[in-house]
Amino acid sequence: MVERSLEGWSPTIGGGVTLHEVVDLAFDYRGDVTIVRSDGTEVIGYVYNRNRDVPEPFLQLFDPTGASHTFRYAEVRTVRFTGRDTAAGKSYEAWLRRKTQAEESAPPA
Amino acid sequence: MSVPLSQMWTVATYVLGQKLKGRARYPLVLMLEPLFRCNLACAGCGKIQYPAHILKRHLTVEQCLRAVEECGAPMVSIPGGEPLMYPEIGQLVKELVARKKYIYLCTNAILLKQKLEEGTFEPSTYLSFSIHMDGPRQEHDEAVCREGVYDEAVEGIKEALRRGFRVTTNTTLFEGADPLRIRQFFDEMMDLGVEGMMISPGYSYSKAPDQEHFLRRQRTHELFSTMLARAKRRWRFNQSPLFLQFLMGKQDFECTPWGNPTYNLFGWQRPCYLLQEGYASTFQELMETTTWEQYGRKSGNPKCRDCMVHCGYEATAVDHTFSSWRGFRDAVVTTVTGRL
Repeated sequence: MVERSLEGWSPTIGGGVTLHEVVDLAFDYRGDVTIVRSDGTEVIGYVYNRNRDVPEPFLQLFDPTGASHTFRYAEVRTVRFTGRDTAAGKSYEAWLRRKTQAEESAPPA
Repeated sequence: MSVPLSQMWTVATYVLGQKLKGRARYPLVLMLEPLFRCNLACAGCGKIQYPAHILKRHLTVEQCLRAVEECGAPMVSIPGGEPLMYPEIGQLVKELVARKKYIYLCTNAILLKQKLEEGTFEPSTYLSFSIHMDGPRQEHDEAVCREGVYDEAVEGIKEALRRGFRVTTNTTLFEGADPLRIRQFFDEMMDLGVEGMMISPGYSYSKAPDQEHFLRRQRTHELFSTMLARAKRRWRFNQSPLFLQFLMGKQDFECTPWGNPTYNLFGWQRPCYLLQEGYASTFQELMETTTWEQYGRKSGNPKCRDCMVHCGYEATAVDHTFSSWRGFRDAVVTTVTGRL
């Protein structure tokens, strides 16, 4: 299985990708992101919810202190994938490989 | 089947009550996730991949109880994360027992013996430890990616039974499962003296590291048909016999995604325990604003195509039991005869 991660991605909205798409990817991402607001201010945290099926689409984020923030899409310039992707690089095959290596390197009983 | 009569009666009267009220959609089991933190990192689990500040957080007991009241389901399943790592687990269980909710505390049992020795829980008809056991020793330890966990779980089961607790097992079966070994595993669990077993095929979480070992629908029918053929009378299953028939391909059910609604740190999860497509802030909002017709096999949603997991289909099986004389007869016959 080829693992792909968005970690480190810093998209420019309009450059082939829409804000809706980027927010959906951020919602699906298992790491922290940086929300860049229209006024240039930034908030770091985990995007745990978003809803684009309402009159004013919004996203919700927990920052590292545990505070929840809600941002309307209209006030978001972009989202940068700045945190570690916690779902990446932990494959079953990798675990099997580690297990096999450990067994091979163990001294004979 | 092994569900206590009092629990069967509670569920039966609840479901019939919902039907008399004309409620087409009602919850059966609340999946209450007080935390995502776990002391294992199983390859098939898509529940624990979060940044550290999310893993450190947990719901308060008050938040949990509010969700229980909002939902109104007669049964509460407490998965996670590992619920025995939840600092308020004793208090939460005590409050739920006081509310006469049937609780399935889903645990890998690594901490069970310690918690029992500390006196965190008291035996109750309303409390059942549902121990995660994905097959015999080798298969289980491989599934949880750590050796020795099977033996720890067995120790926990023995201790809980010795102290008079209700104990069930929950087993997720993946591609490559050997039906004969699983049948031996059923014998082992019965020998231990558990009240009953719950079995289900796995679901391919988009965030689970292991995407290649989940069962597809036809494979699921083949595996469960072979595994449950001429099921031994001593095997007791803590779930609807019609759901087991569904896994064997003898019943054709549609998913009931609202049957096991999920509440966690993020709110009410849409649309089900397995898919994370967004969150509602209240149970009512979840029920009224989720586009349910986009989910389930008939919807054509590729995420639902191969899913046969208990949290979507067990509620269907229970509803089917009380929706027609045929459904009721099928459930009674299989329960009495033990023939699936």
